[in-house]
Amino acid sequence: MGKDFNKESSSYIFTFAMIICVVCSFSLALVSQGLKAKKETNIALDIKKNILKAVNLEEHLALKASATEIEAAYENKIEELVIDPSGNIVEGKSPKDIVEGESLYPVYVYKEGSQKKAYCFPIVGKGLWSTLYGYLALEPDAMTVRGITYYDHGETPGLGAEIEKDWFQNNFKGKKIWDLKENKLHPVAVVKGKVADKYSGENAQFYVDGISGATMTSKGVTEMIARELNKYEPFFQKIRK
Amino acid sequence: MATTILSKKERKQIKDALWDNNPVTFQILGICSALAVTVQLKTALVMAISLTFVVSMSNVVISILRNKIPSKIRIIVQLSVISSLVILADQFLKAYMYDVSKQLSVFVGLIITNCIVMGRAEAYAMANPPWKSFIDGLGNGLGYSSVLILVATAREILGSGTLLGFPVVPQFLYDIGYVNCGMMVLAPGAFFLLGIIIWVQRAISGYTESN
Repeated sequence: MGKDFNKESSSYIFTFAMIICVVCSFSLALVSQGLKAKKETNIALDIKKNILKAVNLEEHLALKASATEIEAAYENKIEELVIDPSGNIVEGKSPKDIVEGESLYPVYVYKEGSQKKAYCFPIVGKGLWSTLYGYLALEPDAMTVRGITYYDHGETPGLGAEIEKDWFQNNFKGKKIWDLKENKLHPVAVVKGKVADKYSGENAQFYVDGISGATMTSKGVTEMIARELNKYEPFFQKIRK
Repeated sequence: MATTILSKKERKQIKDALWDNNPVTFQILGICSALAVTVQLKTALVMAISLTFVVSMSNVVISILRNKIPSKIRIIVQLSVISSLVILADQFLKAYMYDVSKQLSVFVGLIITNCIVMGRAEAYAMANPPWKSFIDGLGNGLGYSSVLILVATAREILGSGTLLGFPVVPQFLYDIGYVNCGMMVLAPGAFFLLGIIIWVQRAISGYTESN
């Protein structure tokens, strides 16, 4: 570097910052692209694992089930369907074929032999900081929750992130989404605090305990369950008949 | 020891970071992640390796650039280097250890905010040659790791009765009424353990708060 080289001059600072930015972003883009295939396989497998978890398999998968075990269980027990907004099954399509923006929805049917055991569908919605992705499974009566999972979110660990914990997800099992007395949809909702303090008897079956310190995340969960259930209502209506 | 790769000075540098000047127990840095990822040994190990990688590599890169970095923007340059390395580590975890990366969730990303990394970059790498900076980063990474592993081992055994997922507490103990300590699974458990570790270390080294 020459004598008049000035490390603190504006032009040097700008050039230096530019080089750092370009080098950093280029190397990160390279790594991200290089590992893309591997990451996508992981994510696809994780989604299958979560569908299996949501439908609450009768023969539970081991916690550390290998990739092939998960694939096999999924292959044998889950039937993939695609439905249109009026609840009719679209033949010859699988959830993979749904293009973004198309109003077709996936349904995953859990079968033991020829007997239908559960209907599972994706739920997506806003939490406090992030979008929450999960699955909700209903019993064959289409009125009772069989299971719920969340597999991707960016909520605060210990607060909103509790939605991925078993204690929270187990609360949903056996809760109702259909009000038999009034014969209308009554989506299960997350309350603030404990259900036992707010609702008793019949009513309690539509609510689950909230997460303290995570009111916004809980609200998000309630909102997305209601929205998704309404979306799938035409399909479930046919099942209830 | 003539055959050793590290000179006496370098070994002292590492020993310092591990014991006399441990970033966690002496400088009380990086406590937040030390609480969050130490429920199980496996996540703690992955976190320890990731942080050691990030702190040593960022020290090297920043040390190489140290005479070129304009002082006005040095902090943001350090941050760019550190965050690139953190994202790199995160991407590799997502590709090869997906389950662990999900458990670690935001904490790998939060290595960026770990004071140990920025602290070493600013305090050491900006003023020392690459190899020495690497040793310094490695030492501090290992210092952090050792505390993390210690806390995680204790928490997993006491809190869940397992180690790396394998049961270690014999069944007959449960039969005669032993129960896992629930508090160890929660954050306060880590606070108590960390406090005890700092206490024991300071008792041995005879350190007292001056002034």
